[in-house]
Amino acid sequence: MNEYLCHDFKTPRVDTSRRLPSSFRAIPVIFYVALIGSAYVMTMDYFGYKHALKQKTDAEERTKLSEAQRDAFKAEKSELEAEAVKAEKVAQWMEGARNIQPIAVRIARAVQTETRITQVAIERSEQVPSNLALTIHLNGSKVTSELAAIESALGQLYYRSYSPQQTKNGDVVEYHSTLVRQAE
Amino acid sequence: MLLDEIKSVLSFAAFKADPDDSAVPWNRRFEGRKSLLINVSRGGVSWRSISKRGRFEDGGTQEGEFADSVPQRAEEWRSMAEGGWCSVSINHRFIISLENNLMRGDNCVSLLRTNPRAILGPKYDRGKRYAICHHPETTASLLLAVEESMVKVTEDTLKTASLKPGRVCCGLFAMLEHAILSIFRASDGGTPADFVLIAACEGSLAVLVQQEGQWRDIRCRSGLGPEGVETALQIISPLLAKVPQSSPVYFVGDGHDNKFRTELMLHLEKVGATDLTQDDLLWKVIGES
Repeated sequence: MNEYLCHDFKTPRVDTSRRLPSSFRAIPVIFYVALIGSAYVMTMDYFGYKHALKQKTDAEERTKLSEAQRDAFKAEKSELEAEAVKAEKVAQWMEGARNIQPIAVRIARAVQTETRITQVAIERSEQVPSNLALTIHLNGSKVTSELAAIESALGQLYYRSYSPQQTKNGDVVEYHSTLVRQAE
Repeated sequence: MLLDEIKSVLSFAAFKADPDDSAVPWNRRFEGRKSLLINVSRGGVSWRSISKRGRFEDGGTQEGEFADSVPQRAEEWRSMAEGGWCSVSINHRFIISLENNLMRGDNCVSLLRTNPRAILGPKYDRGKRYAICHHPETTASLLLAVEESMVKVTEDTLKTASLKPGRVCCGLFAMLEHAILSIFRASDGGTPADFVLIAACEGSLAVLVQQEGQWRDIRCRSGLGPEGVETALQIISPLLAKVPQSSPVYFVGDGHDNKFRTELMLHLEKVGATDLTQDDLLWKVIGES
């Protein structure tokens, strides 16, 4: 029954175009495939764009954070450099004051614990660099004996006090003297 | 227009068979669509609708001339067919004859429609429409000739009722073709050398005789009423006498009135006739194939 095709003798139409060949079905198929493909690509592009925007925002936030960290490091570095400059100066001073350090040590050791030294100044004379101007502010009950002990200790370092002066200013005794280096 | 064409390509409609494409079976042309089958006989018209699922549904008959019946039934028929497409069987005003050595080929069917003279030669008659059924094993052919005026009048009558004939055929000839094909398929190579095939459809009758593997005779008659059994037997009897007694006799028949078919079969059973009739055979032949 399926193979039998019934005859037909109707008046044929003249206004008909031939049916498109089956192979032309590829055209709408390709069209729909292209449509679906385009929709897929556009969707993926949209999500990619959104993802890129998020990445850009994240990158900007990371940049800001990095710049803040960089600024903090720069500030810290500046502080450290300033400290280093200060330390360098201290080191230079320490290096320059090496020959008078024993004087400061002797003064500190000569004073008893109950006597307080509020100020010690040792200045080298510009006219006679071998002489040192010594200024000591002492506060205590036995200042006179302490000053004697200091002069004695400095004598051990071959320094002799020249024209020492004591001035009492309240509880504080101000001692001024010029240390003259003696030959050993 | 261009937009419609683009739409038809994108919706694949452009690749579907046209409703009046003769090269495509009816059920494939109307997949998922309703259509109408009409059988026009001399004294009446019968019809049957095919649903979207391809099942036969409502039908009916009406006595009288076809031209008178159409205006009365037009609205009902239009509701049964999407786009008004119908398959029409014309069961009268035809002649079936036996021919030999007619051209055969793949394009013969379409050539018979467009240029029948190329197939029939001097046998061509300007006022006729033709259909051919070839013998599967010999050079013999059955040639159906229907009056062209009858076809045109039928088509015009349907067009006035906004119905479009997607196929115009002869139901009796279609049943004859189908029965011949069935016999040759069923014989499995051992085709009976002698047989008689009787086809009856809505008051039309055709009797084909094969002797010694050759179609020897064909007789046809239309316009037989329910009481035309005697006339039919007068046509059949001389032809039955032509073949040996033990030769198979096949009968295939369909029609709204079963009385003619039943009474005829009662007589044919005496000669051992085999009834090849199936339910709704006419509608199946013109509405499925």
